[in-house]
Amino acid sequence: MYSDLLHALPDVFAWTNFAAVVIGVIAGIVVGAMPGLSATMAISVLVPFTFGLEPLVALGLMAGIYNGAMYGGAIPAVLLRIPGTPAAVATTFDGYPMAQKGEGGFALQVAVVSSSIGGIASAFALMLLAPPLSKVTLLFGPSEVFWVAVFGLASIIFLLGGNPIKGLISACFGVFVSVIGSDPIYGNDRFTFGQLEMLDGINIVILLVGLYALPPVIDLLETPLKTDGVNSSKLGTEPIWKALPRMNYWKTWLRGSLLGIWIGILPGAGGSMAAFMSYNEARRTSKNPEKWGEGEPEGVAAAEVANNADTASALIPALTLGIPGTAVAAVMLGGLLVHGLQPGPMLFRDNPDIVFGFMWQFLFGAILLVLLGGSLATNSFARLLNLPRPLLGSVIIVLMLIGVYSIHGRMFDVYLMLGFGAIGWVMDRLKFPLPPVVLGLILGGFAEENLRLALRIGRGDPMVLFQNTTSLILVALTVSVVVGPTLKKRFIDSRKKA
Amino acid sequence: MTESRKSRLTRPETLTAVGIILVAAGFLVPTYDLRAISALLPAAMLIGLIVLSVFLLLADQRKASAGEDAAPMTKAPKRVIGAFLMIVSYALACDFVGFYVSTAVTIPLVAWTFGYRSPVGLLIATVIVVGTIWAIFDFGMSQDFPTGRFWGR
Repeated sequence: MYSDLLHALPDVFAWTNFAAVVIGVIAGIVVGAMPGLSATMAISVLVPFTFGLEPLVALGLMAGIYNGAMYGGAIPAVLLRIPGTPAAVATTFDGYPMAQKGEGGFALQVAVVSSSIGGIASAFALMLLAPPLSKVTLLFGPSEVFWVAVFGLASIIFLLGGNPIKGLISACFGVFVSVIGSDPIYGNDRFTFGQLEMLDGINIVILLVGLYALPPVIDLLETPLKTDGVNSSKLGTEPIWKALPRMNYWKTWLRGSLLGIWIGILPGAGGSMAAFMSYNEARRTSKNPEKWGEGEPEGVAAAEVANNADTASALIPALTLGIPGTAVAAVMLGGLLVHGLQPGPMLFRDNPDIVFGFMWQFLFGAILLVLLGGSLATNSFARLLNLPRPLLGSVIIVLMLIGVYSIHGRMFDVYLMLGFGAIGWVMDRLKFPLPPVVLGLILGGFAEENLRLALRIGRGDPMVLFQNTTSLILVALTVSVVVGPTLKKRFIDSRKKA
Repeated sequence: MTESRKSRLTRPETLTAVGIILVAAGFLVPTYDLRAISALLPAAMLIGLIVLSVFLLLADQRKASAGEDAAPMTKAPKRVIGAFLMIVSYALACDFVGFYVSTAVTIPLVAWTFGYRSPVGLLIATVIVVGTIWAIFDFGMSQDFPTGRFWGR
């Protein structure tokens, strides 16, 4: 089962594949360090540029960006108390007080070492857990695959928190977009309105760039951020090898890694939750909890190890079942699709070199974090905070246009992307979750095809969808995901009243 | 506390829900011409969107009756509208005038309009970005960009 993992290793060391991870990590740190930009946005903008690249080069870039951005978010969190990414909120609690005391450099070094350890643990979890899970899912037939898709959508809608009605609207929109184009079985046009450009359906990249890249650009232009650069000019950084002996946080790193991995696997949770839980647990078990919040380096370690430990583990359900655990994982699924790699059970059987190579790239990306985000680089990356946001916004607009135009070489796609961007901005402002749209687009067509296949096998009898144990387990899981949060809320309310 | 808007029907969520209902109803019409099995999923999703939007609308109106104010979509509507218009204009300019000219104008124009006022910085950034795009995409990857419908190309 694990022999494919070792076979994939030599490919990862091809210089182009390795260089892709290095470039990805650097780009990820840059993106993460810029408040308002995120790994999701960076990967969305990147995906169209990877069309002409070998799959492992493209995936290496994505793995590097994901790892780098999760650490990069700590830079403004420590220096400005503005989390560069949502997952870095807990890093501000102790990181910023450290920076005010002139220990910003050490805080960033703790962050980079902890991020690296979390990323390494997460990559190992992906390598160990995904292959056996994929063996199980290979036994699935059309009705089970249909229920997996339904379960995936239900989990992302109901476990994401917030308003389930908005989550459902997002998912319905995504599934609807997935049916635009030719019918997969009969070939008749659906909602193309005579546009030849839409016969093949809506390319996922157009949707990703519109939904995830346009709203942050509008934010960059809407609210100019003024930084005084005070904390970034007094980092007080010493070489990282001198700082390492001061970092004795093994228990925190272990606990945070396990929490991050577990939360990453759960659909809809994500890095922020992992970081908060790890921070709270570390504080609860600390000998000096009163010092936390006033510049305790272990607080930075707890938050950063957990938010990086959920990176690769979020891909366990994504790669094996096609259900992403986080928004970034959903966008990465889009990246896989662009290269003809359909996430799910068949991926491990048909493309073992690529999927296992991707796992190695996650591991190397996490290791490279320490080398690239070390003392010298930390100083340089901290200066990124002074980049003018309007200029950055205008450059991203150009990159979005190039990326989308180059998919098919036509402006129609650009206009479509702008339409999705406007919808994405409204959804973002009204707090409609975006991951269900992407998941709806990915799983909608997949679910429809398998539903129709299952119905054909059952000669039109819908009971074919409930005729085996796996399907029934998946139905039960879906029901529990839908009903679970409501029951939990009622239980908590009744206990409060009691 | 009372709703501060002139009409509670202009609350952002209410307007969005009404918009979704109208668009989804419009998209339902073509499903009648499809085979039943082809129309199953799209019709289910569109009906789902309509029903869910009704729930959203009712929930939002209930909040309005309770005097809960709806948060504004943006604190700087002029900047947001300006940003959208500039992005759309840039896409149209690429289509009709050509990619390189539009890009060379858009980068400094957008950055200047939204607050970055260093002429030297703008010039350097524009030259670097346009030059890099040309070197990587045009020269390195032979990627063709729109040359402009106005010029008949």
